[in-house]
Amino acid sequence: MAGMNAGSCDIGVLLSAYLDGELRAGELERVAEHLGDCPDCVLEFRMLKEARAAMRLLPLLEAPEWLLDEALHLGPELSAYLDGELMTAEIPDVVGHLTVCARCRDDLLELDSARVAIRALPRVEPPEFLDVARVARSSPTRSRWRLATAAAGIAAAVVLTLGVATRPVPEQTVDLNSFADRHVARASVEAGFSMLPVLAPGPVTP
Amino acid sequence: MADELIPTWEDVARRYGRKIYNFAYRLTGNPDDAADLVQDVLLRVRKGLASYTPGSFEGWLWRITRNAFLDGVRRKKRRPTSPLPDDDRAPIGASPSPDEVLAAVRLSDDVQEALLKLPLEFRECVVLCDVVGLTYEEIATAVEAPVGTVRSRIHRGRKLLRGMLTWPV
Repeated sequence: MAGMNAGSCDIGVLLSAYLDGELRAGELERVAEHLGDCPDCVLEFRMLKEARAAMRLLPLLEAPEWLLDEALHLGPELSAYLDGELMTAEIPDVVGHLTVCARCRDDLLELDSARVAIRALPRVEPPEFLDVARVARSSPTRSRWRLATAAAGIAAAVVLTLGVATRPVPEQTVDLNSFADRHVARASVEAGFSMLPVLAPGPVTP
Repeated sequence: MADELIPTWEDVARRYGRKIYNFAYRLTGNPDDAADLVQDVLLRVRKGLASYTPGSFEGWLWRITRNAFLDGVRRKKRRPTSPLPDDDRAPIGASPSPDEVLAAVRLSDDVQEALLKLPLEFRECVVLCDVVGLTYEEIATAVEAPVGTVRSRIHRGRKLLRGMLTWPV
């Protein structure tokens, strides 16, 4: 491949541009003239021509239909539009598309129904035993006071226990299985009782 | 070009979707990556059209396409999946099939394979020139390089490509 190594000619780098009709006037004559004298550059020119022909052998592929179909319609912009979360610059474009595209209007209606349905979900009250209001009312000062009271209570209980330790105490065991069964039974009959961790209710209002 | 008519994104999808897909496919050699790239590009176009200032629309579009491609390459580098073949010494297409149809498929497979072995900056310029059909000026805008650099990259890319193909074209 002698032509591929025609490094001695500074004209070499212009040959692809010559092939593509991308040379300026002065360069064009220079290259044309040089090709008349330099067999190495003629060979290189032929190689480049073959490379370009090889590239042009590549067939123009069809893009998958779904891809272009999807590209012609709005996607995440629709939810953002419903929630008033579009950027100002995007609004005219989205609105403009919605005026001409029935499919996107249908999608918008469906998304809106879903949004309304989600927002209509009733507010869930925390189970009674959590007494959320009481927890919320408790201040750090009160907690410290309670802690002190609890500590005193524990100390008293220890003294009491030690005092009666000499008497035989019937052995008490906790049956974990029955405890779990009772818990499950309660969960299945009591509305609002959940074994799942209870999260703070969100700001959703029906 | 004050009176340049700026297309809508729907126009861009219709008019350029196939070209972008071909650019993406030739650069990646993979239909899934090509489809991902088309989606990414058209989304960027949709978001970017509002701020497009009239000038070279082709250059603008292909710069977006090329940047989306490079972002994809960077993402892949962080999470490599299937490395490109690294045996550069083996000649490609040493024995074309005698059957004409099969041969044509084989030839384009060989070209595709050779293309994937080109350094990225050569590959993108060659594809923009020979597959997409841009002028050197438009390619320069797309790859954000001077026209002289584009000229050199196309030249060197074609030389390398031809060196990897052993069959007569």
